[in-house]
Formats: sequence, structure tokens, C-alpha cells
Amino acid sequence: MTAGAGTRRGRAGVRTARGVPPASGDGANLLELRGLRTHFFTRDGTVKAVDGVTFEIGNGETIGVVGESGCGKSITAMSIMRLIERPGQIVAGNVVMHGRDLLKLSDEQMRDVRGNQISMIFQEPMTSLNPVYTCGDQIAEAVQLHEGVSRRQAWSRAVEMLQQVGIPDAKRRAGEFPHQMSGGMRQRVMIAMALSTNPELLIADEPTTALDVTIQAQILELMKALRERNKMAIMLITHDLGVVAEMADQVVVMYAGKVVERSDVTTVFERPHHPYTEGLLRSIPRLGERRARLEVIRGVVPNPLNLPTGCLFKRRCPYRMPICDTAPPFQEVRPGQYSRCWLTPEHEPPTVGLSPAPEVAEEEAERLTVAPR
Amino acid sequence: MARYVFRRTIQALPIFFGISVIVFMVIHLAPGSPVDRFRVPRVSPAQIQRLIELYGLDKPILQQYVSWVTTFVQVWRPEAWGYSFLDGQPVLEKVVTRAPATLRLMGTALAVTVLLAIPVGVLAAVKQYSWTDKIITTFATVGYAIPSFLLGIYILFFGGVVLPQWTGGRFGFPLFGMESFGKQGDVLDLAWHLVLPVTSLAIQQISGWARFMRSSMLEVLHQDYVRTAKAKGLPRGRVLGKHALRNALIPVVTLLGLSIPGLLGGAAITETIFSYPGLGSMFVESVGSRDYPVVLALTMLGGFTVVFGNLLADILYGVVDPRIKY
Repeated sequence: MTAGAGTRRGRAGVRTARGVPPASGDGANLLELRGLRTHFFTRDGTVKAVDGVTFEIGNGETIGVVGESGCGKSITAMSIMRLIERPGQIVAGNVVMHGRDLLKLSDEQMRDVRGNQISMIFQEPMTSLNPVYTCGDQIAEAVQLHEGVSRRQAWSRAVEMLQQVGIPDAKRRAGEFPHQMSGGMRQRVMIAMALSTNPELLIADEPTTALDVTIQAQILELMKALRERNKMAIMLITHDLGVVAEMADQVVVMYAGKVVERSDVTTVFERPHHPYTEGLLRSIPRLGERRARLEVIRGVVPNPLNLPTGCLFKRRCPYRMPICDTAPPFQEVRPGQYSRCWLTPEHEPPTVGLSPAPEVAEEEAERLTVAPR
Repeated sequence: MARYVFRRTIQALPIFFGISVIVFMVIHLAPGSPVDRFRVPRVSPAQIQRLIELYGLDKPILQQYVSWVTTFVQVWRPEAWGYSFLDGQPVLEKVVTRAPATLRLMGTALAVTVLLAIPVGVLAAVKQYSWTDKIITTFATVGYAIPSFLLGIYILFFGGVVLPQWTGGRFGFPLFGMESFGKQGDVLDLAWHLVLPVTSLAIQQISGWARFMRSSMLEVLHQDYVRTAKAKGLPRGRVLGKHALRNALIPVVTLLGLSIPGLLGGAAITETIFSYPGLGSMFVESVGSRDYPVVLALTMLGGFTVVFGNLLADILYGVVDPRIKY
């Protein structure tokens, strides 16, 4: 344990980055992730898919979780739902909701959270619905399970939900099978199913990735409308920064199982700090700009079985310095903006110099590191 | 649906024609002849010649085929399938008399198979790579690999010889037949005689089915909709029993139709080993004595079960999978 050493910047009630803080009961946050670690124990070695993820989701807030494929954003979501299967295992951390650590609930208690307090929709609407049951059946099933109502009531609730998500002729459509609907329709059905129990948090794992662009916009509009109506929080997982700009209040950028930047959406787009976030933003093609070729982040995501020491992004980073061989601090670069990088808030090399002794670098990282809020 | 069945039945006609030609030619091309068993010193060559003429075996093969096939299709006539060369009985009557015994054997074996193989296969899939799974998979592979005649003899030896010896003659299964003398019509006695042949027939079927069920369930367990069901908060039993099983059973339904001819084939060997008086043992006898009318009738029946087993599978597909409409 390294907590307690040195002074820490930040507001009152700052928690240590690596220590496990007590669950807060201030009511402002709906869900708090604290040092979540989900590892996969494969024959070739341990894959640290999620390695110390800490962030919180406020009541009614939409948080966008961004990152490349394999950065651990989906695994974070599955960990919150406790749907990780062997060889994966949640090895450390807390997922606190209403003062309860979801990771410590019994399986039965957790089932009551799933689909009731936290609902989830997935990337693939084409395969996420069971082909042998009608859409109405699948929605009514969730309602009946969590609300303890009769089959008939659950069914009329299902029809009502289908109307709410904008499916025309909902009464008839409820009796149809998933294969009789288009991809966009199916995603609407998934949303209807997820929202049928009035969850406080909706986890949407790339809900629009598999849909074509016009349908994408419709689904996002629908999610926005329902968010206002149901006053629910959304954890929106995506690799599409356009979707984030459209929907999110807060943004979490993940890279190789860690949060590398976290702030509100405006700051991320206007003044990104982490070089990875900068790279992501630069790789969005802009209308009217003539460029010989699209900007890309050079290199590839590191092999999860063989991660570099120190900063995980250093091999692809344009600002790489010798000090990057020591794990960078997670520092508050501006109020509310956190970045896992050695660069100072002004994007200058760290004050300890470019290549200090490892012990000095570690101490400096420790000094700078601050847990969000 | 009715139109589909009708169309498939019409489509089956050329298949039956093909089967009849091949079967007829093969049995006539095979060495040996129905009159061979009369070639003993007591029977004069002239008498044998008379038999050959009586059976019509001296006619050109095409003519023999035409005369056989034209009478064969007239199933409403008791003599349509000809008379057995062995005992002179009408073949149709012999088949009808013996069919219930085989249907009982096959039906019981199929029921036992379905009731055991599906849970066993599901269990192996749900507990993939566990000891339970390894034991099930090993037994299934061994059961699938062992030839049925060998398995039958082992089971006969164990149940009918070793077991009575161990228990001092108090407990053991009958060595042959389908009922005890003087107990005709006794249901318990019939069931008692079924135990060993059904075990022998079912072990192979269970092995195949359990392996198939396991892989089908494993595939379904990785589907997105199973994850959706879990994310809804459904208890594990409902996720597996409702969402996964129903989908995993769809391909298994095909097996139901396709396993019927397999069971019939297995019955031929099993019935012979257990001296069980059904169609299977009758078939083996008739082949041995080149009893052409019986061989032809039973082979055509076999072809019939293949074609209609397939049709049955396709119809059941439409019933269990809403994505398929006829």
C-alpha cells in the first residue's frame, strides 16, 4: 500500500488511487467503480482486460466510454453486470450502487439488479434477440420477472413499450418474431426490453455500430428522448466520437484496460490532454479539409499478454520521453479533467526532468496522482 | 404445410423407383440363389429346375423386375409382396405380424435415447471441460465407436450369463426371445425381454445423440441472445432451460427423423443377437437364405423409413423453428 505518502492535490475527500475507498453515501453518484480489475486467465497467460478502472456515473448522467476494440470497455460493462465468464474473473475493485457493492451481492440479489436497476443493450441487434420467441414475449418476460405482474399485464406493458420506442402497429408487432424485423427495429425492441423495468442505469454497448447511418441517428434520438423521460443514467460504450459528442455529458477514454483520460465532453473535444485522446480526435475526418491521407494513430494496440512497462501508450506516442518507462501519474490537469500522462497540464515535459532516476519518477508519479473527485 | 407434404411425397416417387431398381439388381447380382439350399443329394437336378421355373428365376432380369414391381405396389392385396421362398407365407402378412415387435423395440430404444441423451448432452455442455463433461464425452465416444454386434454380445453375456451367476440364479435377464413360453401377452414379461436388446440398441444411439446435443448446446450458449437473457436477470435455470435449450433442440430434431432408419438397421443386428422375433432378425435370415421377396420387401421398407424420416425431420423443423415456413 502506498497510500498516505506525500501530499495530494485535489479537493476534500480525495481518495487514494490504489487504496479502496469507503462507499460514499452522498447520493450524487448513481454508480461508482473503484479500482475494478477483470483479468482473463488463459493458457497463454493473464490478460488484464480491465486493470484498475475508477470512475463514477452521476444520477441521470450520460457517460461515454471510448476506446479502440479490445481496450476493455465492454469488459468493464460486463463486469458491472457481473456477466464475466471463465476464464475471466473480477479480481479486485468495487462497483458501488446505492451504497451496496454489487460485486459482494449474492447471485440472487445480483439477478434482481440485472435488467431491473441496470439494463443493458448490445451491439448486435440481429443476434441479441432469441429467434424462437416473439418480441413481445421477450419484453414481457423481463417485466414479469421484475415487477411480479401477471402475464397479461406484462404483455400489455410490452406493447406499450414498443409504442414508446416508436414501433408502428405495436400490438401486431409484439406477436412477431425477431427475424420478421429489420436491424433498427430489433434495436428498438432491445431498447424497449431494457427500459421496460425503468432501470436507473442503461448500459449501451455500441448500440448503433451495427446499424446504418440514418438508423443510427434515429436510435440516438430515441435514446435521448427516453433518457429525458425516464431520468436515467446511460453508460454509452462506443468507439465513435461523433456519438459521444451527440450524447455524453462526461467522457472516459480507455486504453489497454486503463482509464487514460476523463473529463466533461466539451473539454475532451476542445482541450484533450492525453496524446491518445488527441490522436483519436485527429483521426476523425473533417468535411472540407483536403488531406492526402487520413490521420491515424501509428502502431497497434499492445499485445495484452505482453504489455510495455510504464506508460502503455508510449510505443505509439508522438511525445514519448525516457520518463515514460515509469508508469505515469493520473493527474488532474484542469479542474474536472484527469489524464494518465507525464506531460504537465500545459503539455510540457514534467518538472522532474525527462529522464530522472526511476525512484524519483515513481515518487513524482505518486505525488501527482489524484483520484477523480 | 399440406401442399409441402404432398410435394415432398411426389418428389419421393422417383427416389423409390431408384431404390427399387438398385435393390433388385443388387440382390440378383449377389452370388447364391434361393434354390441353393435344395442342392443336396436327395433333391434331383430336375426338381431344382422346376423350382427355378416356379420362382420365375429363369426369366430375363428386366422381366422379373417388372413383374415384381408391378405387384409390389398393390399393397391392398395380401399377396402383393409375394410369398416367402422359405415357408410359402405371404410376405406382407409376415411383415405385419412381425412389425409390432420391432416397433416396440425401436420405440422404447428411441424413448430411452431421447430421455437420457438430451439431459446428458446438456449437462456436458453446461459443465464444459469439467470432470462430468470428460466422463460423459469419453463414454459417448466409446459407445459410439464400439461395433453394435460386439456390444450386443457383451450385454447379452453380462445380463444373461454373468448376472445370474453372481446372484446365484435369482436375478438375470432372458437370453433370447421376446416373451416367455406360457406368458404370452404379459406386458411385464414383454418389458423384461426388452431390457437387454433396448440397452444394446440405445447405448449407441445415446452416444451419438449426447455428443450432438452437447455440441449444439455449446454453440447456443455462446450466442448473444443467451447473454441478453442473463442481462435481463433471469435465473440460470430459465436462461438454460428456456432460452438456450429451445434453440439447441432445433438441430436435434433433425436427428429424430434421421435416426429412425439407423434404429432399424441397428435392430437387424440387435434382434439377431438376442434372437428377438422382429423384422430385423427376419431380414438377416432372409438375406442368408436368399429369400428374395422378403429381402426386397424389407429393403424397400428401409428406404421408406429413410425418405419419410427425412420428411418428418423437415416438418418438425417447421414446427420448432419460427424462422422456417413451408
